[in-house]
Amino acid sequence: MNGKQVSRVIAAVARGAADPVLKSLREAGISTGHLAAGRSVALEDKKGFLGLGERSVIVEDPIEIFSFLVSPELEDTALDIIIRTGRLDILGRGSVHSETVHLIKSHALCAENSGAAAPDKELPLLTELMGICCIVQRGQGDAVARMALDTGTCVPAITFGTGTGVRDKLGLLRITIPADKEVISLAASVHDADAVMDLMIDAGKLDEPGKGFIYQYPLKQGIVNTKISRGMPKHAASIEQIISTIDQIKGNTQWRSRSGMASTNGGARRKYLTNLIDLTLICNEGRADDLVKSAMAAGAAGATISILKHVRPQDSGAAKVSPARESCNMIVGEQQIPAILAELDKVGAFDDKTHGLLYGKPAPKACTYLGK
Amino acid sequence: MDNQQQTGGKIKVGFKQGMAMLFPYAKSRLIEQVKSVALIIIYLIFFQTMVLGIAVAQAAMIAAGLALVIGGLAFFMEGLMLGLMPLGEVIGLKLPQKSKLPVILGFSFILGMGATFAEPAISVLKAAGSSVRPWDAPLLFLLLNKFSGYLVMSVGVGVGIAVVFGMIRFMYNISLKPFIYILLSFLLLFTLWSFFNANMRNVTGLAWDCGAVTTGPVTVPLVLALGIGICRVVGAAGSGSSGFGVVTLASLFPIISVLLLGASLSGTVPQPMSEAAFFSAANRDKAQALFTSREEMIGFAFQNAKRESQLALFDGSSEKMIAYLESLKSSEKERAAVFGPKRDALEKWAATKGTRTQAMAVFPSAEAAREAAQKYAAMLEDPVQPADLILRNTKAAAQAIIPLSIFFLLVLTLILRERLPRADEVFLGLGFAVFGMMLFSIGIEIGLSKLGNQVGGKVPSSFKAIELPEQRSTINKFDPDIVKTAITADGETQTFFYVREKTGYRQLPYHEDQYSPETSQYNYTPTRGPLFGAEGGLTGILVVLVFAFILGYGATLAEPALNALGLTVEELTVGAFKKSLLMQAVALGVGVGIAVGVAKIIWNIPLLWLMGPPYILLLIITKISTEEFVNIGWDSAGVTTGPITVPLVLAMGLGIGGQVGVVEGFGILSMASVCPILSVLCVGLMVTRKRKAALQEASETAEPKEVAA
Repeated sequence: MNGKQVSRVIAAVARGAADPVLKSLREAGISTGHLAAGRSVALEDKKGFLGLGERSVIVEDPIEIFSFLVSPELEDTALDIIIRTGRLDILGRGSVHSETVHLIKSHALCAENSGAAAPDKELPLLTELMGICCIVQRGQGDAVARMALDTGTCVPAITFGTGTGVRDKLGLLRITIPADKEVISLAASVHDADAVMDLMIDAGKLDEPGKGFIYQYPLKQGIVNTKISRGMPKHAASIEQIISTIDQIKGNTQWRSRSGMASTNGGARRKYLTNLIDLTLICNEGRADDLVKSAMAAGAAGATISILKHVRPQDSGAAKVSPARESCNMIVGEQQIPAILAELDKVGAFDDKTHGLLYGKPAPKACTYLGK
Repeated sequence: MDNQQQTGGKIKVGFKQGMAMLFPYAKSRLIEQVKSVALIIIYLIFFQTMVLGIAVAQAAMIAAGLALVIGGLAFFMEGLMLGLMPLGEVIGLKLPQKSKLPVILGFSFILGMGATFAEPAISVLKAAGSSVRPWDAPLLFLLLNKFSGYLVMSVGVGVGIAVVFGMIRFMYNISLKPFIYILLSFLLLFTLWSFFNANMRNVTGLAWDCGAVTTGPVTVPLVLALGIGICRVVGAAGSGSSGFGVVTLASLFPIISVLLLGASLSGTVPQPMSEAAFFSAANRDKAQALFTSREEMIGFAFQNAKRESQLALFDGSSEKMIAYLESLKSSEKERAAVFGPKRDALEKWAATKGTRTQAMAVFPSAEAAREAAQKYAAMLEDPVQPADLILRNTKAAAQAIIPLSIFFLLVLTLILRERLPRADEVFLGLGFAVFGMMLFSIGIEIGLSKLGNQVGGKVPSSFKAIELPEQRSTINKFDPDIVKTAITADGETQTFFYVREKTGYRQLPYHEDQYSPETSQYNYTPTRGPLFGAEGGLTGILVVLVFAFILGYGATLAEPALNALGLTVEELTVGAFKKSLLMQAVALGVGVGIAVGVAKIIWNIPLLWLMGPPYILLLIITKISTEEFVNIGWDSAGVTTGPITVPLVLAMGLGIGGQVGVVEGFGILSMASVCPILSVLCVGLMVTRKRKAALQEASETAEPKEVAA
């Protein structure tokens, strides 16, 4: 993949907690980025009727997810500010991680944030992480997300999106096919990622037609929110706090990798897609439909469009960018990128009306229905 | 990945394949609506047949109507999602980016005014005030009849100003709370003042209900979508899950504007007085000022006033009145002025309401009068005319949706110079919305509202004896000599007679005024109740209150505007605040509110006593709630009273009001507005506390590590 290597820092915090973090980032010169609304899920023990039968139900909380593209040398500074201002070192306050992406092309106002890095600091970060992203029909998200909770992997973040693809070639009949999607993202240890992914595939029946898509992508480092259940601990520390602390001491989660946690259901026989690219195009509101159409003409199979808000200082040149933004995620083969880029360029994806931003990251393993 | 799919162009779908796609789509939408209305329908039928023990009249028509309601709601909701809401949102997105503040505010004002004229709630209010008598409440009567145009205008101005302030709030990111504090304090003081003015006291109920009723199923989604669009491009850095609050303002401002209108007119109308004084010659000019013409006043008196009052209009001369009635027979123009445009209105009135001499003046012979009496007694209601029904409702639906949509499209193309994204989908959606609204309006008229009327009218039978006019029967060739006299333990005498029925003999009470010596007919109207406890007993009233609660609860769940609000809230919180939780909270609130409103009517409690405490409580809860829930909670109050709830609630309110004899049926709807705010805010407080606790648990139990240098 050509393009400049930059770092993408992405964090999820409780709704309302993002503002102070964004302010501190702005003060450090990391000022343009994107914000999305999402929800996090956790398990809560509920007593049944008359106190009979206890079961854990899923409870949902609103969260805010913000992401910034920064030059690689600024990555640690950004992580440090986010962790410090958002108090993410405390378990249950949220999660943050960074990943290396290839910035293929962008409008000048939307390029990565760069500047002087703050002096090095010791950060309580885990490495050897693998991101898992799963796109399912609206309403199916909790079932898949629950896998991440039940395996103790982490608290997943769920966002909404709209699918495009075959649907848009149907004329008005398209309204009969629900386009609303849920996107579940989570961070797992590289050692567990395959097993978790298989369990998620089972839970969402993702290898059956029309159910969804799941893929892995490497993460560089970060803090994983492992506070998967709600309620007061019965001991001086909850088991989640203990795990989190050992994770931090060890610097990774290999010590608790469970080889026995495998799909019971044909995980071995499953066919995966390999070596794809997760291509993300962010543009001004209203342009996504047309741009995805062009990308599809150049070979992309479809896209998931979600709504973002542009984060920027009001008094900078970046205020020319529309505050309402759309992000289009496409999974493509690496060899398709030049054609897609050419086509997007042709329809003005990077002009002053669209303020486009295109980056890609590797998706080494993916799964969906592959036909018979 | 496999990329050999065809790119660009359309996929051709055959008819069979198309149907295979349409069928599950239509099915899922219909099932959703069946679920939303099932509770209220099953409950109404159950209550009428099982609790009250009365068979459902016109069952086939009602069933057809209910089917139309379900189909109509399915189309309408889909139309909202595909057409109206995307249209509102795209304007909201483009307007702040492409135009200056004055343009936005001008647009907002026109939108508010236009929405009011498009969905005139005045018919609802007129229904609520249909039993208002000009001598009891002159100002209220004036506003609902002669000056109803002014009333709609003042509501329109109120909503217009509300939308303007709503937009200013979004643009400058102002909290909703100060608006609520200021408006509400002002309103409560104004209402308190009105309480001590005999004329204004009756108008307060109307004003508060105006606020509740104005925000209809088209306005709410449109304004919500607009607000959400605007909030996506303006405002602070927060992920902007706001966009709510306009509905709240659109519920509060019209109350003020209507109260102001009432206050400005209150000097010109006479004080409430007795019926006799109202029709006396001394007050003639003042009284007639409440009507558009002398003819209208005469018509009203014929329909609603006592015989002496009618005579008073003709200087106490019976001959003059008879001569006047006879002159009406020949002059079609004058007849229309007195009795309205329906051709047989005069005959119908003479046959059903007129005295014997009045009937003789209208009909050529006693025989004709008797035939007419039988004919009109058989049809208590006007028969349904399908063509008229469809035409009227299509017109209303088109009027509610099309002008506003055209206004939006014009603003988008002419002022903002933007293209409408997914235009085909939006137009299809608008078509769905009009069609759906027409279907469900028809369905409500011939189905739900009829069912509601039947149950609502009979509900008082649980605590008092009521007449069952649709079971009225006429005994021809009645002989008064068979009437017997019975005596109670206290020595009071009552008259009765026996009738022979298929299975035996039955006593019926005898009322002299039901017997007509000319025709020798006796009209018998059976009565029913009290079913629970004694006449006027508490048990029976409790049954009514429970009925009212469940009615409010069930009807609210079916309300389209609330469904749209719930979906929007769920969408904006990415599912963290579930639609079902909001709807349950609102429905509970509405149920309680309607039960309280019914209690108001039964015991004739002044509205101030009922509105004051909850609103003062609300001020406090609003203060301690988060901005998010204040917006959602107050907005849900505005959307609760829609096309499903209003006819059912009014039917019940008027049924009960008519049986216990109160001036007007106002106030129930405003109670149904205040209680859901309370319930949603309480749920909000609970949810917020839980979330705070979860976060605090995280920060307190963990030992903060030294991360910062």
